[in-house]
Amino acid sequence: MITLPDLVETVVKIAFILGLTIGFYAPIIGWIERKQSAVMQDRIGGNRAAILGFTVIGLFHSLADAIKLIFKEDFVPRGAETALHRLAPVISVVPALIAFAVIPFGGTYNLWGHETRLVIADLDVGVLYVFAIASLATYGVVIAGWASNNNWSLLGALRAAAQMFSYEVAMGLTIIGLVMFYQSLSLVEIVDKQENFYHWGIIWHFPAFILFLTCAIAENKRIPFDTPEAESELVAGYFTEYSGMKFIMFWTAEFLEIVTISALCVTLFFGGHQIPFVTVSGLIDFLGFLGPNGANAAAMLIGVAVFIIKLTLLIMLQMSIRWTLPRFRYDQVMKLGWKMILPASLIWIFLVGAGILTGVMPAV
Amino acid sequence: MAITFKKVDRNAKLTLWEASYVPEILRGMSITMRHFLTNMAGLVMELAGGRKHRKIMTLYYPEEDPVIPPSYRGRPALVRRSDGLEKCVACGLCEVICPPHCISIVGAERENGERYPLTYTLDGSRCIFCGLCEEACPKEAIIMSHDWKNLCEYDRSKMIYSKEQLLYPERNLVRRLEAIRGRYFGIKRYKNN
Ligand code: SF4
Ligand code: SF4
Repeated sequence: MITLPDLVETVVKIAFILGLTIGFYAPIIGWIERKQSAVMQDRIGGNRAAILGFTVIGLFHSLADAIKLIFKEDFVPRGAETALHRLAPVISVVPALIAFAVIPFGGTYNLWGHETRLVIADLDVGVLYVFAIASLATYGVVIAGWASNNNWSLLGALRAAAQMFSYEVAMGLTIIGLVMFYQSLSLVEIVDKQENFYHWGIIWHFPAFILFLTCAIAENKRIPFDTPEAESELVAGYFTEYSGMKFIMFWTAEFLEIVTISALCVTLFFGGHQIPFVTVSGLIDFLGFLGPNGANAAAMLIGVAVFIIKLTLLIMLQMSIRWTLPRFRYDQVMKLGWKMILPASLIWIFLVGAGILTGVMPAV
Repeated sequence: MAITFKKVDRNAKLTLWEASYVPEILRGMSITMRHFLTNMAGLVMELAGGRKHRKIMTLYYPEEDPVIPPSYRGRPALVRRSDGLEKCVACGLCEVICPPHCISIVGAERENGERYPLTYTLDGSRCIFCGLCEEACPKEAIIMSHDWKNLCEYDRSKMIYSKEQLLYPERNLVRRLEAIRGRYFGIKRYKNN
């Protein structure tokens, strides 16, 4: 039975997540990508787009891009499957967005007698849900490549299908150790168990973090794993034939996936909204001078802010990976996935099992 | 910033350490991170009003001007003597040597017998900034100045410079003069006599 406050709460949370991802991160990532890469490579980066003489260190370039692309011709090539060609960008964006439903961006707070848990859907099988949704993204890419009636698009789509499939297997396995450690598939529970700093995923599962991040970047088809869209080989890969708004949607999907990956890493390895050595209840007690509701609201804001800071730092980490490494050759991508990451994650599962059995790893 | 070269052996056998990717990736990322942090610190210090200190070589052009080296060849300029008259003796050597024939001179004589150019026209739209006029001139009367800004016009007729537009006091051309004297005569320092 769903009550009105519950409904309002859910709508507010969904609006917040949509605003955070599409409204805030999608343009900001475009800007971070430009500026961070520029500063890393001893350049300055776009800084000339201005409104009334204000450039805001180049922030308006994202806006200018969006306006430019919106007014471009929406091109569908001859011989393309029109309906599928139109559908593909949507299929790419949606999975990146709905994966956020199970990611907790704050703890549980008691606001005016209403228990608020800052996660849209507290699923028992959150981890599985995320992986299930992530595998849907493959469809968008494959459909885009196939419906475009273009050799390069199809080649890109084939590569993407193989690559995403391979890395999904490995990605699932990298998380198993973590699930064994926390004995839960629910992301909310995993975050709650990281209240103690010494139980953070990154401390006990650093190898899993590296493997997971590698797989996640490969899933997102970004450099160094961007063979599906390798512009020196395949023009632009599976989205060669897209222009205007649909092209933005592919980019948005990619940017949103960066956010999703970062959010997952934060949740699984960096304690979500938790501040090291501070518990949520401790924080609420500490802010007690604001009154019970004020303390809860302040703790909630702090929790969300901490989550966003961690998220942004991980996004910047992904950016610096993207701008540091050269692209793998396609066979190297496959070799890395099947011959190195898969066995490594299996070994890690074994080690975690041994660690839990022998008591080296603490029971949480 | 010095640019260094590194020879890459493409057939190198990777050691196990290198083949395990992660340490080498971290090493690479530490390099890019170092650049990022130094540049960020430099940019922040610059915004805060400090000295420009960063590895970024990009110039904010309309706001910042590049440093022009002494031997730079800008728009040719006629040297004005300290008494306000032109040094040129209207010998016509520059007119002859100029590859695109952009100089035209009408010579005349002053009461004291000095020759001088009555008109001296230099078509800036044809000049190729080769510096041969400067090399040919026996009197150091035409010198490549360091003018490089605002030489473009929407109208070609505006680019035909008259003698008045070309005349520069000698002190404006000292750096270039020093450079060419050093090159042609081995004179290291130019003494203004
Ligand atoms: S620089 Fe070259 S082209 Fe220009 S006026 Fe002198 S000789 Fe002629
Ligand atoms: S070569 Fe020198 S002195 Fe002779 S006309 Fe040209 S500028 Fe005058």
